[in-house]
Amino acid sequence: MSSKTAVIAKLALRNLRRQARRSLLTAASMIAGGALLIFSLILGDGTHEQWIDSAVRMADGHLAVQSVGFQDSRALKDRIPSESRGLVEQALRQGGFPANINDMVPRLAVTGMASSAAGARPARILGVDPVVEAAFSVLDEKVRQGRYLQSGDRLAAFVGIGLLEALDLRLGSKFVLTAQDAGGEIAGQLVRVVGTFRTGIPEVDRSLLHIPLSTAGAWLGCSGDVTSIGLLLGNSEQVPQTRSSLRQRLSQHPGSEELQVLSWREALPELDAAVKIDDFSNYLFQGILFGIIALGIVNTVLMSVMYRRREFGVLQALGLTPGQSASLVLVEGLFLTVLSGTIGIALGLSVTWFLWGEGLDLSSMMDNEWTFSGVVMEPVVVPRFRVARMVQGLSFIFLIGMLASLYPALRALRIDVAETMKFER
Amino acid sequence: MGNPALRTEAVWKVFHQEAEEVRAVRGVTLTIQPGEFVVLAGPSGSGKTTLLNLIGGLTRPTDGRVWVDGLELTRMGSRELARMRLEKLGFIFQSYNLLPVLSALENAEFPLLLRGMERDQRERRVRELFQRTGLAGLEHRRPGKLSGGQQQRVAVIRAVVGEPALVLADEPTANLDSAASDILLTVMEELNRDLGTTFIFATHDSRLMERSRRLIHLVDGQIVSDQWQESRREQ
Repeated sequence: MSSKTAVIAKLALRNLRRQARRSLLTAASMIAGGALLIFSLILGDGTHEQWIDSAVRMADGHLAVQSVGFQDSRALKDRIPSESRGLVEQALRQGGFPANINDMVPRLAVTGMASSAAGARPARILGVDPVVEAAFSVLDEKVRQGRYLQSGDRLAAFVGIGLLEALDLRLGSKFVLTAQDAGGEIAGQLVRVVGTFRTGIPEVDRSLLHIPLSTAGAWLGCSGDVTSIGLLLGNSEQVPQTRSSLRQRLSQHPGSEELQVLSWREALPELDAAVKIDDFSNYLFQGILFGIIALGIVNTVLMSVMYRRREFGVLQALGLTPGQSASLVLVEGLFLTVLSGTIGIALGLSVTWFLWGEGLDLSSMMDNEWTFSGVVMEPVVVPRFRVARMVQGLSFIFLIGMLASLYPALRALRIDVAETMKFER
Repeated sequence: MGNPALRTEAVWKVFHQEAEEVRAVRGVTLTIQPGEFVVLAGPSGSGKTTLLNLIGGLTRPTDGRVWVDGLELTRMGSRELARMRLEKLGFIFQSYNLLPVLSALENAEFPLLLRGMERDQRERRVRELFQRTGLAGLEHRRPGKLSGGQQQRVAVIRAVVGEPALVLADEPTANLDSAASDILLTVMEELNRDLGTTFIFATHDSRLMERSRRLIHLVDGQIVSDQWQESRREQ
């Protein structure tokens, strides 16, 4: 540190102490702002992670390997043949299964009709491996009657409560599924209700049902084939890196050009938009709040500059350049904001950790289940503590401090030394 | 022979106040040698302070040239001017203008601190000057806890501690009673005599004029007389 920098830092700290009450009042607003900022960021992240987790378990995971074209067509013709499925699984396991992939589920999805004596309803039929699906999906936790599918089941169906009621079915009832098979022919399959579920998302409960993957393959004439291989990661932050490494692994295998790796953002664009809009509104609120706080800082620092005009004149007479005397103002503003902002962030983190570390229970504010974009909002929001957010919060506070001190610093820069000395007369 | 401490050549300073043109300094040419003890005297509005500001590089001349210790100020940018003020000039102001957040010692050593001098060396030099000026024991007091005369003596130490080519003092005794003024003037005379520090004062104070060895009278921005005299003290 140069001698002048050390002098400037020393003067800045002493000047803040000199106007202790004013500095403390401004610092208090920054501490409150910093605490609120980090609280809303980590709570927002926790909420979003819950939305994403809930949605990806219901859909095809954080990442889904599909045939090119399946995302748009949703047709069996765009399925992954068994040889390619083997290639994907081999690529994933090659050199060890990536540590951040928690589960991998093969699925055969088809749209068809479910019919009973009471009528017929459109249905989203998922052929699943009961064992791995139970670890991946949340449906097995939503059982209303009966049970989820089990290994060894053949003609079993796990049916949404809405569909069950629409078809007037009960546990043990038989009904028929019809869909276009791999050869383009309409094919039927008799299944029996072994369990029902209720997710709280009406469109899911009215249309979705699970049947064993082997049953679906045999029925649709594409045994061993799947329409997607879903991957569940530790959290949504791991998506970009895992996707890129997965793409790289797949690219080393012939036939991989027919496959694509979709992230949840592409597979669930509505959820992606909801997260972005929620983030934007949070940033907007924080922007307005910190705008108001920044005005307080501008006022404090500017008052200090105006009050000390002659001192700035003296400093320049003693050998500081105008830029150095302006930097004194910047340093004062930054000390004030960064110090108090850091305290605020530490306070926000501590309070959130101690009071709501296990989750903030909002159930008293939620009369009914809230759902959107295929997501059920959980009444308990678990904050998500991320170093990146703390760095972002501190950087934002640093930026606010810098911006708020800029105008007072310019005023100090433009001080006419000879003019300030005229006040003596 | 070395450079003069100060040389000005046909220096003008014209201010524009609304439609009016104020010629504060009109073609002043002046040379001051190292070790001089000079007073700029004259009535209010005669241009004394403006001339000091021009010499100190705090104001740029409208025309003419200024050299301090052989360095031409009028060609310098703001960084060079700041460096020149730090290394070649010392200022003493009417209102002392000590930095209130620093102790007397920290105020006095401020120019040395800016120059990056080692702490031990700084303190040794400053404490010696505190001793010499009768301020020993007051090093750690803040300016607010010192009398006006004591504050001005700290300001004098701050001005001379870096051994500048020139000390510019604008009405240094104006806020002091006669006893404090006398002590201050004695201190400055001794520093001038013992250390060879060059002083230029702008003042109305007759006591200071009497103790100067060169008295320059300014009227309406022009030098009307430049007299060498033996100070009354020396007499």
